[in-house]
Amino acid sequence: MGTRIQTLGKAAFVLPAMTVVLALLIYPVLSSVFFSFTDRNLLKAAYEFVGFQNFTIVLSNPEFWNAFSTSIRWTVGSILGQLLVGFLAALALERVPRLSGLFRTLLIIPWAFPAIVIGFSWKWILNDVYGFLPNLLTRLGFSEQNVSFLADPSVVFWAVLVINIWFGAPLFMVNILAALKTVPKDQQEAALVDGANIGQRFWFITMPHIRKVVGLLIILRTIWVFNNFELLFLITGGGPAGITTTLPIFAYRTGWGLHQLGMASAITVLLLLFLLAIASIAFRIINSGDRKALR
Amino acid sequence: MIYTSTREGSTIRSRWGAKAAALALAATFGLAGCSAPNTDSAVPDEDAPLTGDIVFWSGFTQGPRAEYLQGMADKFMTENPDVSITIETFSWPEFETKWTTGLASGQVPDVSTALPNQVVEMINVDALAPVDDVIDDIGRDRFSAAALGEGQKDDVSYSIPLYSHAQVMWYRTDLLEAAGLEVPQTWDELKDAAIALNAPPTTYGLSVPLGTNDMMGSRYLNFYVQSEGGALIDDSGRADLTSPEAIEGINYWVDMYKKTSPEGSINYNITDQATLFYQGKTAFDFNSGFHIGGVRTNSPQLLESIAAAPLPRVKADDPIYGGETSNIPLVVWNAGDNQAASKAFVETLYADEDYVKFIHSVPGGMLPALSDISEDPAYLDDETLQQFGSSVDVIEEVIPLGTAIGMENGPTVQAGIITSQGVIEQMFQDIILNGTAVKDAAKTAQDKLNQLFVTAGVTFK
Repeated sequence: MGTRIQTLGKAAFVLPAMTVVLALLIYPVLSSVFFSFTDRNLLKAAYEFVGFQNFTIVLSNPEFWNAFSTSIRWTVGSILGQLLVGFLAALALERVPRLSGLFRTLLIIPWAFPAIVIGFSWKWILNDVYGFLPNLLTRLGFSEQNVSFLADPSVVFWAVLVINIWFGAPLFMVNILAALKTVPKDQQEAALVDGANIGQRFWFITMPHIRKVVGLLIILRTIWVFNNFELLFLITGGGPAGITTTLPIFAYRTGWGLHQLGMASAITVLLLLFLLAIASIAFRIINSGDRKALR
Repeated sequence: MIYTSTREGSTIRSRWGAKAAALALAATFGLAGCSAPNTDSAVPDEDAPLTGDIVFWSGFTQGPRAEYLQGMADKFMTENPDVSITIETFSWPEFETKWTTGLASGQVPDVSTALPNQVVEMINVDALAPVDDVIDDIGRDRFSAAALGEGQKDDVSYSIPLYSHAQVMWYRTDLLEAAGLEVPQTWDELKDAAIALNAPPTTYGLSVPLGTNDMMGSRYLNFYVQSEGGALIDDSGRADLTSPEAIEGINYWVDMYKKTSPEGSINYNITDQATLFYQGKTAFDFNSGFHIGGVRTNSPQLLESIAAAPLPRVKADDPIYGGETSNIPLVVWNAGDNQAASKAFVETLYADEDYVKFIHSVPGGMLPALSDISEDPAYLDDETLQQFGSSVDVIEEVIPLGTAIGMENGPTVQAGIITSQGVIEQMFQDIILNGTAVKDAAKTAQDKLNQLFVTAGVTFK
């Protein structure tokens, strides 16, 4: 009897959290999956079950594959750049003896701004007529005429990629910096005494301590960046000529522009499956590292 | 199997389908509150005091218009103490998402502003209440038939025009004068003048905005096609981008982009475009009377140097035409519980004195939807309207001649799609950036639009 009451008590404590999780996570996912098999239109009450028709249409659309390819390049480029910049900034900050808190705060500023502010600010900064940066480059003699960062097909993708790296690197920096603080100093000192060089100390002592944090960061940021919509949409709208159209923008145009909720749901389900596959592979890699370490 | 959300009452056919869908639908829409049209309140007892909570979704984000609306709501609530009005303000792009998702979940307002192409979609899904009674009370003959027609289906009115504006050509008088140029009347004259005044990076002749985030490319092409007597949607309801007029128009704007426009304008939206004119960076631009307020706010020193003229024509002796008119309406939602109070509040917004105050909140930008107000001395007694009298006259002249893009043959769903999907803008970008032949790009865009029309459930004539 007592055990049963205890169990019920535990369940009662867990219930609110479970309710929130179900409402905010499970329900939207399930409803997306459900609608992906229907011809649900946002404006129409009636809809029919259409099997895999939405998936067939989406997967045979070349625009979907263009958006998918752009999403892959956008995510890989962003994550690699954010990781590199965040790592370097964290390593540098760890060595700053004074005012490291101030520098940390300054470096995290991009992360503190809402995407809409960042989007419009960069759009303003990069405008080819009155933008600060193109005019500055021209005045300094780096270009003969103002560079069209947001219109030149050979430049626009890289321009928004750099913005996303600038935006996301602080999160890597803060977390890697926190992980670096957990590396035991005595191990570093012992390795130094044993004659290990800086590269060896980093690879054999620092990396094992921060690997898991970095791995989780990469997984989480990969999901966020792959799903990111607002930054690109605000700055380029997916253009010009679809060069910066990622899957979320493609899904948005389908869902809201055409009101085809069923079709948009199919796109998001495909996106979910892809990200689940990526995340499971990444987790296996991290865990395999743990098993090797235990051996 | 056909499933119907609880918004229209559950009619789920087939046993297993009912089980599967009931769970999802109950969760999806059940919580949202479902309401059938409130027929009781639609036929109110005239002597009974008005009651109820009214939610008003407003697209008026700018200070003076928002303040005016709130003031009118406060006044109405004072006169009708049992009525509570809550005004929720959204930007126009946000409103598109808001009402479509709101409709799906049953969370719609009692009254709202709307764009004409949204009204068409709202009517098609029975989301709006008929408002002929309100129009008759205000005075049906005070509205233009064209403006009323944009919100009618089967001779029933579902929207009430609140104000109007139309696209005209804005130009810099000082630049034209300095170059010894006349105000262009034809497309060829415009191109020649824009090329003559093109002096980047100080000034560009004319920016051609082609961003897929907006409908500016469609607007510019529509101007040209209209001037040739054509339309972007033909009589059968199909997109028509391969007509001789459309091909000529596409070539014209591509050439203009290359000769007089900033390179970045390939990805500009309406704000980017307007900002150039406000900053004195362009000699010509196309917009409504809202440009007056924009220039006043951003570059008041330029206010003396801007004026409006009718849209260019093919030949100077061609008649003036309406390239694009926007009649912004109010709508009363079917699902609202307080239609009597909602309609009564809407009606107060058209009371002469208050209506003039509303129109004066953006002088020159919003022109009266009530024809008699345009001649009202109280309306004309405004500093801006007097300063820009000739420009406002130009706009007033073309308002009755035009419609929203794609609505030349009446309200259609295609009008919303042609301006919301960026297909025409993608076509321009494809021609300019990828070097695709104009006819091929036009055919591809036309096929894509027609496919989108079919996807949206359009049946061609």
